[in-house]
Amino acid sequence: MVARFLKRVLIVSALAAACSGCSAIGPKPWEKDIMARPEMQITPYPLQASADDHIYFSKEAASGGRGFAGGGCGCN
Amino acid sequence: MQLKKAGRVRRTLSAISATLLVAAASGYESEAAAQDFYGLDKGNNDNFGPGIAYSQLDAALLVYQEAGGRVQAIEPTGSLSVHGARGQVLSIDGVADAVSGATPNGAVPSSVAQNFVTPLKASGSSTTVTSASGGSTVIQLPPTPGQIATAALGRQYTVPANTLPMDRGFRDHRAAMTLGWSQPVGRITEVGASGGFSTEEDYQAITASAHASQNFNGDNTTVSLAVHGEFDTSSPFGGIPTALAAMSGQWKSPTSRQKTQLGLVLGVTQVLTRNWLTVLNYSYDRQKGYETDPYRVISVVDPTSGLPTSTLYESRPGGRQTQSVYWENKIAFGPALTDVSMRYFKDDWGVTSKTVEASERVNLSRHWYVEPDIRWYQQSAANFYHRYLVGNQSLPAFASSDARLENFHALTYGAKIGFRLSGRSEIFVRGEYYAQAGTDHPADAIGQLRQQDLFPETKAVYGFLGYQWKFH
Repeated sequence: MVARFLKRVLIVSALAAACSGCSAIGPKPWEKDIMARPEMQITPYPLQASADDHIYFSKEAASGGRGFAGGGCGCN
Repeated sequence: MQLKKAGRVRRTLSAISATLLVAAASGYESEAAAQDFYGLDKGNNDNFGPGIAYSQLDAALLVYQEAGGRVQAIEPTGSLSVHGARGQVLSIDGVADAVSGATPNGAVPSSVAQNFVTPLKASGSSTTVTSASGGSTVIQLPPTPGQIATAALGRQYTVPANTLPMDRGFRDHRAAMTLGWSQPVGRITEVGASGGFSTEEDYQAITASAHASQNFNGDNTTVSLAVHGEFDTSSPFGGIPTALAAMSGQWKSPTSRQKTQLGLVLGVTQVLTRNWLTVLNYSYDRQKGYETDPYRVISVVDPTSGLPTSTLYESRPGGRQTQSVYWENKIAFGPALTDVSMRYFKDDWGVTSKTVEASERVNLSRHWYVEPDIRWYQQSAANFYHRYLVGNQSLPAFASSDARLENFHALTYGAKIGFRLSGRSEIFVRGEYYAQAGTDHPADAIGQLRQQDLFPETKAVYGFLGYQWKFH
Protein backbone atom coordinates (compact mmCIF):
# COMPACT_ATOMS: atom_id res chain seq x y z
CA MET A 1 0.00 0.00 0.00
CA VAL A 2 2.70 2.45 1.11
CA ALA A 3 4.93 1.29 -1.74
CA ARG A 4 2.12 1.97 -4.26
CA PHE A 5 1.52 5.44 -2.75
CA LEU A 6 5.24 6.23 -2.88
CA LYS A 7 5.32 5.04 -6.50
CA ARG A 8 2.45 7.41 -7.36
CA VAL A 9 4.15 10.30 -5.58
CA LEU A 10 7.33 9.56 -7.51
CA ILE A 11 5.46 9.45 -10.84
CA VAL A 12 3.61 12.72 -10.10
CA SER A 13 6.88 14.37 -9.01
CA ALA A 14 8.64 13.16 -12.12
CA LEU A 15 5.82 14.49 -14.33
CA ALA A 16 5.82 17.82 -12.48
CA ALA A 17 9.60 18.04 -12.87
CA ALA A 18 9.28 17.20 -16.56
CA CYS A 19 6.59 19.86 -17.04
CA SER A 20 8.57 22.53 -15.21
CA GLY A 21 11.47 21.53 -17.44
CA CYS A 22 9.26 22.13 -20.47
CA SER A 23 8.44 25.66 -19.34
CA ALA A 24 12.16 26.48 -19.39
CA ILE A 25 12.52 25.14 -22.93
CA GLY A 26 11.99 27.41 -25.88
CA PRO A 27 12.59 31.02 -26.80
CA LYS A 28 11.04 34.07 -25.21
CA PRO A 29 8.39 35.97 -27.19
CA TRP A 30 10.98 38.49 -28.44
CA GLU A 31 13.16 35.65 -29.75
CA LYS A 32 10.57 34.22 -32.12
CA ASP A 33 11.67 36.02 -35.28
CA ILE A 34 12.93 32.81 -36.92
CA MET A 35 9.85 30.80 -35.91
CA ALA A 36 7.69 33.48 -37.55
CA ARG A 37 9.24 32.84 -40.97
CA PRO A 38 6.69 31.27 -43.36
CA GLU A 39 8.98 28.32 -44.16
CA MET A 40 9.21 27.46 -40.42
CA GLN A 41 5.50 26.61 -40.31
CA ILE A 42 4.83 22.87 -39.91
CA THR A 43 3.27 22.50 -43.37
CA PRO A 44 4.13 25.69 -45.29
CA TYR A 45 3.04 24.23 -48.66
CA PRO A 46 -0.10 22.16 -47.95
CA LEU A 47 -0.84 21.26 -51.58
CA GLN A 48 2.71 19.97 -52.09
CA ALA A 49 2.45 17.86 -48.92
CA SER A 50 -0.92 16.40 -49.95
CA ALA A 51 0.38 15.59 -53.48
CA ASP A 52 3.32 13.68 -51.94
CA ASP A 53 1.02 11.84 -49.51
CA HIS A 54 -1.33 10.95 -52.39
CA ILE A 55 1.50 9.52 -54.53
CA TYR A 56 2.99 7.46 -51.69
CA PHE A 57 -0.47 6.29 -50.55
CA SER A 58 -1.04 4.97 -54.11
CA LYS A 59 2.31 3.15 -54.34
CA GLU A 60 3.18 1.95 -50.83
CA ALA A 61 1.51 0.00 -48.00
CA ALA A 62 2.23 2.58 -45.29
CA SER A 63 0.54 5.96 -45.13
CA GLY A 64 -0.16 8.78 -42.69
CA GLY A 65 2.10 9.98 -39.91
CA ARG A 66 2.15 13.66 -40.77
CA GLY A 67 -1.65 13.58 -40.80
CA PHE A 68 -4.36 10.99 -41.42
CA ALA A 69 -3.66 7.67 -43.07
CA GLY A 70 -6.81 7.78 -45.20
CA GLY A 71 -6.56 8.71 -48.84
CA GLY A 72 -10.18 9.51 -49.56
CA CYS A 73 -9.73 7.72 -52.86
CA GLY A 74 -9.73 4.26 -54.34
CA CYS A 75 -6.11 4.39 -55.46
CA ASN A 76 -4.89 1.80 -52.97
CA MET B 1 0.35 79.63 -1.90
CA GLN B 2 3.07 77.16 -2.36
CA LEU B 3 0.56 74.45 -1.87
CA LYS B 4 -1.71 76.09 -4.45
CA LYS B 5 1.20 76.38 -6.87
CA ALA B 6 2.15 72.75 -6.28
CA GLY B 7 -1.46 71.73 -6.92
CA ARG B 8 -1.49 73.59 -10.25
CA VAL B 9 1.80 72.01 -11.28
CA ARG B 10 0.46 68.59 -10.34
CA ARG B 11 -2.71 69.20 -12.36
CA THR B 12 -0.66 70.42 -15.34
CA LEU B 13 1.60 67.38 -15.12
CA SER B 14 -1.45 65.13 -14.83
CA ALA B 15 -2.98 66.75 -17.90
CA ILE B 16 0.26 66.31 -19.87
CA SER B 17 0.66 62.66 -18.85
CA ALA B 18 -3.02 61.99 -19.65
CA THR B 19 -2.51 63.54 -23.10
CA LEU B 20 0.59 61.39 -23.61
CA LEU B 21 -1.33 58.28 -22.53
CA VAL B 22 -4.18 59.06 -24.90
CA ALA B 23 -1.70 59.79 -27.67
CA ALA B 24 0.14 56.54 -26.95
CA ALA B 25 -3.12 54.60 -26.73
CA SER B 26 -4.38 56.05 -29.99
CA GLY B 27 -0.98 55.26 -31.51
CA TYR B 28 -1.27 51.63 -30.48
CA GLU B 29 -4.87 51.56 -31.62
CA SER B 30 -4.09 52.95 -35.06
CA GLU B 31 -1.14 50.56 -35.36
CA ALA B 32 -3.36 47.64 -34.38
CA ALA B 33 -5.98 48.85 -36.83
CA ALA B 34 -3.35 49.08 -39.55
CA GLN B 35 -2.31 45.50 -38.79
CA ASP B 36 -5.90 44.32 -38.69
CA PHE B 37 -6.98 45.83 -41.95
CA TYR B 38 -3.81 46.20 -43.96
CA GLY B 39 -1.43 43.73 -42.31
CA LEU B 40 1.41 46.23 -42.38
CA ASP B 41 4.04 46.51 -39.68
CA LYS B 42 6.01 49.62 -38.73
CA GLY B 43 8.32 49.24 -41.69
CA ASN B 44 5.31 49.13 -43.99
CA ASN B 45 6.05 45.48 -44.74
CA ASP B 46 3.36 42.84 -45.16
CA ASN B 47 2.52 40.99 -42.01
CA PHE B 48 0.37 37.87 -42.01
CA GLY B 49 0.86 36.69 -38.44
CA PRO B 50 -1.69 35.88 -35.74
CA GLY B 51 -4.24 38.57 -34.98
CA ILE B 52 -4.31 39.80 -38.55
CA ALA B 53 -7.14 39.16 -40.99
CA TYR B 54 -5.87 37.83 -44.30
CA SER B 55 -6.52 35.18 -46.92
CA GLN B 56 -4.21 32.68 -48.59
CA LEU B 57 -4.71 31.15 -52.01
CA ASP B 58 -2.70 28.12 -53.10
CA ALA B 59 -2.89 26.71 -56.61
CA ALA B 60 -0.85 23.84 -58.01
CA LEU B 61 -0.52 21.40 -60.87
CA LEU B 62 0.93 17.90 -60.47
CA VAL B 63 2.08 15.99 -63.56
CA TYR B 64 3.02 12.37 -62.83
CA GLN B 65 4.40 9.79 -65.28
CA GLU B 66 5.51 6.20 -64.64
CA ALA B 67 8.13 4.47 -66.77
CA GLY B 68 7.15 1.73 -69.22
CA GLY B 69 3.93 3.40 -70.37
CA ARG B 70 2.31 2.80 -67.01
CA VAL B 71 0.17 5.25 -65.03
CA GLN B 72 0.15 8.92 -65.91
CA ALA B 73 -1.78 11.52 -63.96
CA ILE B 74 -2.53 15.20 -64.18
CA GLU B 75 -3.86 16.77 -61.02
CA PRO B 76 -4.79 20.45 -60.61
CA THR B 77 -5.45 21.47 -57.01
CA GLY B 78 -6.54 24.65 -55.26
CA SER B 79 -6.97 25.83 -51.70
CA LEU B 80 -8.34 29.01 -50.17
CA SER B 81 -8.05 29.81 -46.48
CA VAL B 82 -9.59 32.91 -44.92
CA HIS B 83 -8.04 33.93 -41.57
CA GLY B 84 -9.97 36.17 -39.19
CA ALA B 85 -8.32 38.57 -36.74
CA ARG B 86 -9.47 36.44 -33.78
CA GLY B 87 -7.85 33.25 -35.05
CA GLN B 88 -10.80 31.90 -37.04
CA VAL B 89 -9.89 30.01 -40.23
CA LEU B 90 -12.22 28.93 -43.02
CA SER B 91 -10.64 26.66 -45.60
CA ILE B 92 -11.85 25.25 -48.91
CA ASP B 93 -9.77 22.72 -50.84
CA GLY B 94 -10.48 21.25 -54.26
CA VAL B 95 -8.72 18.52 -56.28
CA ALA B 96 -9.37 17.13 -59.75
CA ASP B 97 -7.34 14.40 -61.38
CA ALA B 98 -7.24 12.42 -64.58
CA VAL B 99 -5.41 9.10 -64.43
CA SER B 100 -4.74 6.77 -67.36
CA GLY B 101 -2.26 4.22 -68.65
CA ALA B 102 -1.42 0.60 -67.96
CA THR B 103 -1.37 -1.01 -64.55
CA PRO B 104 -0.08 -4.48 -63.57
CA ASN B 105 -3.09 -6.79 -63.12
CA GLY B 106 -1.28 -9.00 -60.58
CA ALA B 107 -0.66 -12.10 -62.74
CA VAL B 108 2.89 -13.44 -63.24
CA PRO B 109 4.73 -13.18 -66.58
CA SER B 110 4.89 -16.42 -68.53
CA SER B 111 7.07 -17.97 -71.24
CA VAL B 112 3.90 -18.27 -73.34
CA ALA B 113 1.36 -15.56 -74.28
CA GLN B 114 -1.58 -15.14 -71.87
CA ASN B 115 -5.18 -14.02 -72.42
CA PHE B 116 -7.20 -12.14 -69.82
CA VAL B 117 -10.93 -11.34 -69.98
CA THR B 118 -12.70 -8.61 -68.02
CA PRO B 119 -16.34 -7.48 -68.10
CA LEU B 120 -17.34 -5.03 -70.81
CA LYS B 121 -21.12 -5.13 -71.02
CA ALA B 122 -23.74 -6.81 -68.89
CA SER B 123 -26.01 -9.36 -70.48
CA GLY B 124 -29.24 -7.92 -71.83
CA SER B 125 -27.95 -4.34 -72.17
CA SER B 126 -29.09 -2.65 -75.35
CA THR B 127 -26.31 -0.19 -76.23
CA THR B 128 -23.81 -1.35 -78.81
CA VAL B 129 -20.08 -1.51 -78.34
CA THR B 130 -18.00 -0.47 -81.31
CA SER B 131 -14.48 -0.96 -80.01
CA ALA B 132 -12.44 -1.48 -76.90
CA SER B 133 -9.44 0.62 -76.03
CA GLY B 134 -5.84 -0.32 -75.30
CA GLY B 135 -5.29 -3.16 -77.81
CA SER B 136 -8.20 -5.21 -76.45
CA THR B 137 -10.81 -7.11 -78.43
CA VAL B 138 -14.50 -7.54 -77.71
CA ILE B 139 -15.61 -11.12 -77.26
CA GLN B 140 -19.01 -12.77 -76.91
CA LEU B 141 -19.30 -14.68 -73.64
CA PRO B 142 -21.54 -17.76 -73.63
CA PRO B 143 -24.38 -17.99 -71.11
CA THR B 144 -23.35 -19.73 -67.88
CA PRO B 145 -25.76 -22.62 -67.19
CA GLY B 146 -27.74 -22.02 -64.03
CA GLN B 147 -26.24 -18.56 -63.45
CA ILE B 148 -26.41 -16.26 -66.44
CA ALA B 149 -29.18 -16.86 -68.94
CA THR B 150 -28.05 -14.65 -71.79
CA ALA B 151 -24.70 -13.95 -73.39
CA ALA B 152 -22.62 -10.92 -72.30
CA LEU B 153 -19.76 -9.05 -73.90
CA GLY B 154 -16.26 -9.25 -72.48
CA ARG B 155 -13.02 -7.39 -73.17
CA GLN B 156 -10.07 -9.66 -73.89
CA TYR B 157 -6.46 -8.52 -73.90
CA THR B 158 -3.42 -10.62 -74.78
CA VAL B 159 -0.07 -10.29 -73.03
CA PRO B 160 2.94 -11.49 -75.07
CA ALA B 161 5.33 -14.10 -73.70
CA ASN B 162 7.87 -12.97 -71.05
CA THR B 163 6.00 -9.70 -70.47
CA LEU B 164 4.51 -8.34 -67.25
CA PRO B 165 0.71 -8.67 -67.56
CA MET B 166 -0.82 -5.22 -67.54
CA ASP B 167 -4.32 -3.96 -68.22
CA ARG B 168 -4.02 -1.03 -70.61
CA GLY B 169 -7.67 -0.04 -70.35
CA PHE B 170 -7.14 1.77 -67.03
CA ARG B 171 -8.66 5.25 -66.96
CA ASP B 172 -10.24 7.27 -64.16
CA HIS B 173 -11.25 10.77 -63.16
CA ARG B 174 -11.56 12.08 -59.64
CA ALA B 175 -12.93 15.24 -58.09
CA ALA B 176 -12.70 16.00 -54.38
CA MET B 177 -13.61 18.88 -52.11
CA THR B 178 -12.98 19.59 -48.42
CA LEU B 179 -14.47 22.35 -46.29
CA GLY B 180 -13.03 23.19 -42.87
CA TRP B 181 -13.45 25.64 -40.00
CA SER B 182 -11.36 26.27 -36.89
CA GLN B 183 -11.22 28.91 -34.15
CA PRO B 184 -10.21 29.41 -30.53
CA VAL B 185 -12.92 28.35 -28.06
CA GLY B 186 -12.69 29.69 -24.52
CA ARG B 187 -9.31 28.69 -23.14
CA ILE B 188 -8.69 26.12 -25.87
CA THR B 189 -6.24 27.47 -28.42
CA GLU B 190 -7.94 25.93 -31.44
CA VAL B 191 -10.96 23.75 -32.14
CA GLY B 192 -11.90 22.74 -35.66
CA ALA B 193 -13.87 20.42 -37.90
CA SER B 194 -13.88 19.57 -41.58
CA GLY B 195 -15.85 17.48 -44.03
CA GLY B 196 -15.01 16.24 -47.48
CA PHE B 197 -16.29 14.33 -50.44
CA SER B 198 -14.36 12.56 -53.18
CA THR B 199 -15.83 10.91 -56.24
CA GLU B 200 -14.32 8.72 -58.96
CA GLU B 201 -15.99 6.68 -61.66
CA ASP B 202 -15.89 3.59 -59.43
CA TYR B 203 -15.22 4.94 -55.90
CA GLN B 204 -16.74 7.44 -53.49
CA ALA B 205 -15.39 8.63 -50.16
CA ILE B 206 -17.01 10.80 -47.50
CA THR B 207 -14.64 12.13 -44.83
CA ALA B 208 -15.12 14.03 -41.58
CA SER B 209 -12.61 15.15 -38.99
CA ALA B 210 -12.41 17.18 -35.79
CA HIS B 211 -9.41 18.49 -33.90
CA ALA B 212 -8.43 20.49 -30.83
CA SER B 213 -5.07 21.93 -29.82
CA GLN B 214 -3.71 23.70 -26.77
CA ASN B 215 -0.64 25.89 -26.47
CA PHE B 216 1.48 25.96 -23.28
CA ASN B 217 4.75 27.43 -22.02
CA GLY B 218 4.56 30.78 -23.73
CA ASP B 219 3.25 29.17 -26.95
CA ASN B 220 6.38 27.01 -27.21
CA THR B 221 4.48 23.74 -26.68
CA THR B 222 1.35 22.63 -28.55
CA VAL B 223 -0.55 19.44 -27.79
CA SER B 224 -3.15 18.38 -30.35
CA LEU B 225 -5.68 15.63 -30.86
CA ALA B 226 -7.45 14.98 -34.14
CA VAL B 227 -10.03 12.32 -34.99
CA HIS B 228 -10.94 11.28 -38.49
CA GLY B 229 -13.75 9.19 -39.97
CA GLU B 230 -14.20 7.96 -43.51
CA PHE B 231 -16.93 6.09 -45.33
CA ASP B 232 -15.95 4.63 -48.71
CA THR B 233 -18.01 2.89 -51.38
CA SER B 234 -16.29 0.81 -54.04
CA SER B 235 -18.41 0.24 -57.16
CA PRO B 236 -16.01 -1.43 -59.60
CA PHE B 237 -16.76 -1.72 -63.29
CA GLY B 238 -18.21 -5.21 -63.76
CA GLY B 239 -19.33 -5.65 -60.15
CA ILE B 240 -17.63 -7.13 -57.06
CA PRO B 241 -15.87 -10.42 -57.85
CA THR B 242 -16.05 -13.34 -55.43
CA ALA B 243 -12.80 -13.73 -53.49
CA LEU B 244 -10.42 -16.22 -55.14
CA ALA B 245 -12.95 -17.03 -57.92
CA ALA B 246 -11.70 -17.49 -61.48
CA MET B 247 -11.26 -14.26 -63.48
CA SER B 248 -14.10 -13.85 -65.97
CA GLY B 249 -15.83 -11.35 -68.23
CA GLN B 250 -19.21 -11.94 -66.66
CA TRP B 251 -20.98 -9.15 -64.78
CA LYS B 252 -20.79 -9.79 -61.07
CA SER B 253 -22.92 -9.16 -58.04
CA PRO B 254 -23.11 -7.25 -55.72
CA THR B 255 -22.27 -4.06 -57.58
CA SER B 256 -20.72 -2.25 -54.61
CA ARG B 257 -19.15 -2.77 -51.17
CA GLN B 258 -18.35 -0.37 -48.33
CA LYS B 259 -15.46 0.36 -46.00
CA THR B 260 -15.43 2.49 -42.84
CA GLN B 261 -12.39 4.03 -41.24
CA LEU B 262 -11.81 5.70 -37.89
CA GLY B 263 -8.49 7.18 -36.82
CA LEU B 264 -6.79 9.57 -34.44
CA VAL B 265 -3.58 11.56 -34.40
CA LEU B 266 -2.09 12.70 -31.10
CA GLY B 267 0.63 15.29 -31.59
CA VAL B 268 3.11 17.39 -29.62
CA THR B 269 4.91 20.32 -31.19
CA GLN B 270 7.77 21.90 -29.25
CA VAL B 271 9.83 24.97 -30.06
CA LEU B 272 13.14 23.87 -28.57
CA THR B 273 15.29 26.89 -29.30
CA ARG B 274 15.04 30.11 -31.29
CA ASN B 275 15.75 28.12 -34.49
CA TRP B 276 14.67 24.52 -33.75
CA LEU B 277 11.14 23.15 -33.98
CA THR B 278 10.24 19.51 -33.35
CA VAL B 279 6.99 17.60 -33.99
CA LEU B 280 6.07 14.18 -32.61
CA ASN B 281 2.86 12.43 -33.75
CA TYR B 282 1.30 9.12 -32.86
CA SER B 283 -1.41 7.84 -35.24
CA TYR B 284 -3.85 4.99 -34.89
CA ASP B 285 -6.22 3.98 -37.64
CA ARG B 286 -8.85 1.25 -37.86
CA GLN B 287 -10.55 0.17 -41.09
CA LYS B 288 -13.40 -2.30 -41.50
CA GLY B 289 -15.07 -3.54 -44.67
CA TYR B 290 -14.03 -4.09 -48.27
CA GLU B 291 -10.21 -3.82 -48.51
CA THR B 292 -9.79 -5.92 -51.67
CA ASP B 293 -8.71 -4.48 -55.02
CA PRO B 294 -11.59 -5.69 -57.25
CA TYR B 295 -9.53 -5.56 -60.46
CA ARG B 296 -6.47 -7.39 -59.18
CA VAL B 297 -5.86 -11.06 -59.90
CA ILE B 298 -3.34 -13.70 -58.82
CA SER B 299 -1.93 -16.55 -60.94
CA VAL B 300 -2.11 -20.21 -59.98
CA VAL B 301 0.96 -21.93 -61.46
CA ASP B 302 1.90 -25.49 -62.26
CA PRO B 303 4.08 -26.85 -59.39
CA THR B 304 6.79 -28.06 -61.80
CA SER B 305 6.81 -25.90 -64.93
CA GLY B 306 5.71 -22.64 -63.23
CA LEU B 307 3.32 -21.98 -66.12
CA PRO B 308 0.07 -20.25 -65.11
CA THR B 309 -2.85 -22.68 -65.10
CA SER B 310 -5.59 -20.32 -63.89
CA THR B 311 -6.14 -16.72 -62.78
CA LEU B 312 -8.13 -15.91 -59.63
CA TYR B 313 -9.44 -12.64 -58.16
CA GLU B 314 -7.46 -11.62 -55.07
CA SER B 315 -8.78 -11.68 -51.50
CA ARG B 316 -7.84 -9.49 -48.50
CA PRO B 317 -8.96 -9.48 -44.86
CA GLY B 318 -12.06 -7.45 -44.03
CA GLY B 319 -10.24 -5.04 -41.73
CA ARG B 320 -6.96 -3.40 -40.95
CA GLN B 321 -5.42 -1.60 -37.98
CA THR B 322 -2.41 0.64 -38.45
CA GLN B 323 -0.18 2.59 -36.09
CA SER B 324 2.61 5.02 -36.78
CA VAL B 325 5.02 7.30 -34.98
CA TYR B 326 6.23 10.35 -36.87
CA TRP B 327 9.01 12.69 -35.79
CA GLU B 328 9.95 15.85 -37.67
CA ASN B 329 12.62 18.46 -36.96
CA LYS B 330 13.03 21.85 -38.58
CA ILE B 331 16.29 23.63 -37.88
CA ALA B 332 17.10 27.06 -39.30
CA PHE B 333 20.69 28.17 -39.61
CA GLY B 334 21.34 31.48 -41.34
CA PRO B 335 19.77 31.36 -44.81
CA ALA B 336 19.41 27.55 -44.62
CA LEU B 337 16.58 25.45 -43.24
CA THR B 338 17.04 21.72 -42.62
CA ASP B 339 13.94 19.54 -42.40
CA VAL B 340 14.42 15.92 -41.29
CA SER B 341 11.55 13.52 -40.60
CA MET B 342 11.24 9.87 -39.69
CA ARG B 343 8.26 7.53 -39.56
CA TYR B 344 7.81 4.04 -38.18
CA PHE B 345 4.65 2.29 -39.35
CA LYS B 346 3.13 -1.05 -38.37
CA ASP B 347 -0.17 -2.78 -39.18
CA ASP B 348 -1.93 -6.05 -38.37
CA TRP B 349 -1.40 -7.32 -41.93
CA GLY B 350 2.26 -7.86 -41.03
CA VAL B 351 3.56 -4.75 -42.76
CA THR B 352 6.20 -2.70 -40.96
CA SER B 353 7.84 0.24 -42.64
CA LYS B 354 10.48 2.88 -42.01
CA THR B 355 10.71 6.22 -43.77
CA VAL B 356 13.39 8.91 -43.55
CA GLU B 357 13.00 12.18 -45.40
CA ALA B 358 15.30 15.21 -45.53
CA SER B 359 15.31 18.53 -47.34
CA GLU B 360 17.58 21.56 -47.22
CA ARG B 361 16.12 24.91 -48.16
CA VAL B 362 18.61 27.64 -48.94
CA ASN B 363 17.44 31.21 -49.43
CA LEU B 364 19.82 32.42 -52.14
CA SER B 365 18.58 35.99 -52.29
CA ARG B 366 15.56 38.03 -51.31
CA HIS B 367 13.66 36.37 -54.15
CA TRP B 368 15.23 33.02 -54.96
CA TYR B 369 15.51 29.80 -52.96
CA VAL B 370 16.42 26.20 -53.75
CA GLU B 371 15.46 23.07 -51.85
CA PRO B 372 16.96 19.67 -52.71
CA ASP B 373 15.29 16.69 -51.02
CA ILE B 374 15.71 12.95 -50.54
CA ARG B 375 13.42 10.24 -49.15
CA TRP B 376 14.18 6.62 -48.27
CA TYR B 377 11.39 4.13 -47.66
CA GLN B 378 11.36 0.46 -46.73
CA GLN B 379 8.51 -1.96 -46.02
CA SER B 380 8.10 -5.64 -45.19
CA ALA B 381 5.52 -7.85 -46.95
CA ALA B 382 1.95 -8.40 -45.76
CA ASN B 383 1.45 -11.91 -44.38
CA PHE B 384 -1.07 -12.77 -47.14
CA TYR B 385 1.16 -11.52 -49.95
CA HIS B 386 1.93 -14.25 -52.51
CA ARG B 387 3.48 -13.48 -55.87
CA TYR B 388 1.54 -16.53 -57.17
CA LEU B 389 -0.25 -19.59 -55.80
CA VAL B 390 0.94 -23.14 -56.49
CA GLY B 391 -1.52 -25.55 -58.14
CA ASN B 392 -1.11 -28.56 -55.85
CA GLN B 393 -1.52 -26.57 -52.62
CA SER B 394 -4.81 -25.67 -50.91
CA LEU B 395 -6.03 -22.09 -51.37
CA PRO B 396 -5.27 -19.74 -48.47
CA ALA B 397 -8.10 -17.63 -46.98
CA PHE B 398 -6.45 -14.43 -48.22
CA ALA B 399 -4.03 -13.91 -51.07
CA SER B 400 -2.85 -10.83 -52.95
CA SER B 401 0.00 -10.38 -55.42
CA ASP B 402 -0.20 -6.57 -55.16
CA ALA B 403 3.42 -5.34 -55.30
CA ARG B 404 2.46 -2.61 -52.80
CA LEU B 405 2.16 -5.36 -50.19
CA GLU B 406 5.55 -6.92 -51.05
CA ASN B 407 8.87 -6.42 -49.31
CA PHE B 408 10.69 -3.54 -51.08
CA HIS B 409 12.46 -0.25 -50.59
CA ALA B 410 12.12 3.00 -52.52
CA LEU B 411 14.15 6.14 -53.04
CA THR B 412 12.88 9.58 -54.04
CA TYR B 413 15.10 12.49 -54.84
CA GLY B 414 14.63 15.85 -56.46
CA ALA B 415 14.71 19.59 -55.94
CA LYS B 416 12.52 22.61 -55.75
CA ILE B 417 13.23 26.10 -57.01
CA GLY B 418 11.15 28.96 -55.68
CA PHE B 419 10.84 32.61 -56.58
CA ARG B 420 9.23 35.10 -54.23
CA LEU B 421 7.46 37.67 -56.39
CA SER B 422 6.85 39.93 -53.37
CA GLY B 423 6.27 39.59 -49.65
CA ARG B 424 2.82 38.31 -50.57
CA SER B 425 3.27 35.76 -53.31
CA GLU B 426 5.64 33.14 -54.61
CA ILE B 427 5.85 30.63 -57.41
CA PHE B 428 7.81 27.38 -57.34
CA VAL B 429 8.55 24.34 -59.43
CA ARG B 430 9.61 20.95 -58.12
CA GLY B 431 10.86 17.86 -59.93
CA GLU B 432 11.16 14.40 -58.31
CA TYR B 433 12.26 10.92 -59.31
CA TYR B 434 10.82 7.90 -57.49
CA ALA B 435 12.13 4.34 -57.86
CA GLN B 436 11.21 1.13 -56.05
CA ALA B 437 13.52 -1.87 -55.77
CA GLY B 438 12.42 -5.34 -54.72
CA THR B 439 13.32 -8.99 -55.26
CA ASP B 440 13.07 -9.59 -59.00
CA HIS B 441 14.21 -13.23 -58.81
CA PRO B 442 13.16 -14.93 -55.55
CA ALA B 443 15.19 -18.03 -54.67
CA ASP B 444 12.08 -20.23 -54.42
CA ALA B 445 10.72 -19.39 -57.91
CA ILE B 446 9.38 -22.42 -59.79
CA GLY B 447 10.25 -23.54 -63.36
CA GLN B 448 9.89 -20.80 -65.97
CA LEU B 449 9.32 -18.20 -63.22
CA ARG B 450 13.08 -18.31 -62.49
CA GLN B 451 13.62 -16.51 -65.78
CA GLN B 452 10.95 -13.86 -65.12
CA ASP B 453 11.17 -10.49 -63.37
CA LEU B 454 8.71 -11.07 -60.52
CA PHE B 455 8.75 -7.64 -58.88
CA PRO B 456 6.91 -5.08 -61.05
CA GLU B 457 8.68 -2.07 -59.48
CA THR B 458 7.33 1.43 -60.06
CA LYS B 459 9.65 4.08 -61.44
CA ALA B 460 8.15 7.52 -61.85
CA VAL B 461 9.00 11.15 -62.47
CA TYR B 462 6.75 13.95 -61.40
CA GLY B 463 6.68 17.69 -61.64
CA PHE B 464 4.85 20.08 -59.36
CA LEU B 465 4.13 23.71 -60.17
CA GLY B 466 2.81 25.79 -57.30
CA TYR B 467 1.66 29.32 -56.61
CA GLN B 468 0.95 30.88 -53.22
CA TRP B 469 -0.64 34.27 -52.69
CA LYS B 470 -1.48 35.98 -49.41
CA PHE B 471 -3.75 39.01 -49.48
CA HIS B 472 -5.93 41.27 -47.32
